[in-house]
Amino acid sequence: MYYQEKKTIASIISGVLILAAYIAYGVSRYLEIGYDLLNDLKFWATAMLLAIGGGIVVTIIIQIIFHIILAVSNEVAKELSKRSTRSGKDETCEELEINSFEDEMDKLISLKAMRNSFIVVGAGFVAALVSLYMEMPPAVMLNVIFAAFVLGSLFEGFSQLYFYRRGIKNG
Amino acid sequence: MAKYMIHNNIRKLRFYNNEMTQQELAKKTGVTRQTIVAIENGKYSPTLELAFRIADVFETKLEEVFSREIIDDKTNRIKEENK
Repeated sequence: MYYQEKKTIASIISGVLILAAYIAYGVSRYLEIGYDLLNDLKFWATAMLLAIGGGIVVTIIIQIIFHIILAVSNEVAKELSKRSTRSGKDETCEELEINSFEDEMDKLISLKAMRNSFIVVGAGFVAALVSLYMEMPPAVMLNVIFAAFVLGSLFEGFSQLYFYRRGIKNG
Repeated sequence: MAKYMIHNNIRKLRFYNNEMTQQELAKKTGVTRQTIVAIENGKYSPTLELAFRIADVFETKLEEVFSREIIDDKTNRIKEENK
């Protein structure tokens, strides 16, 4: 598995953690307060703002942990490589350096994955409008839009992994 | 419109160029090793710029590195091969 794939997996993990935390908080409050909570837009706005803020912090922490693990595993691999070949060449470190930037294939994959993500967000927006049309509480509409953004982000990550595994063609 | 199947001789050219590693080729062409692996396995068609850069590394013509098969859409058969 290459650097970009590992980075994508780290992003997916942070996305899943944020979504799980938001659902757990929302459901627990709903069970506590009941149907009235669906009319309390301030509560949902606060929960979503907290999820967005917390999400940024969690993503930064996971990326830091990911880079620490990568650096440690790189050092171990470098040491093992030195012991086995005794060439003294810092190939593993060099490989990490080479692979930790975005080249043309990464950019193309990123663009195609983002396109898939927009489809999910667009579908979520339509679903949110449908929920209003069906006279559901506005909190449902807010939650559908929020879920669409989070799921879109997750779908983008999975799309990236899919393209890295299956390959991608220009055009 | 007919489909194009792109083939490449990168693995062979690397072997004849002092057994150049994928990593060395990646460094010389300014891409990641993952991209070189994908091109070699036919999972990614490089841009024209990268294709020329790869050819320049091997000091050869583009046609020596990449070749194509034109597949007829209706018959699914190879119409022409560029070698």
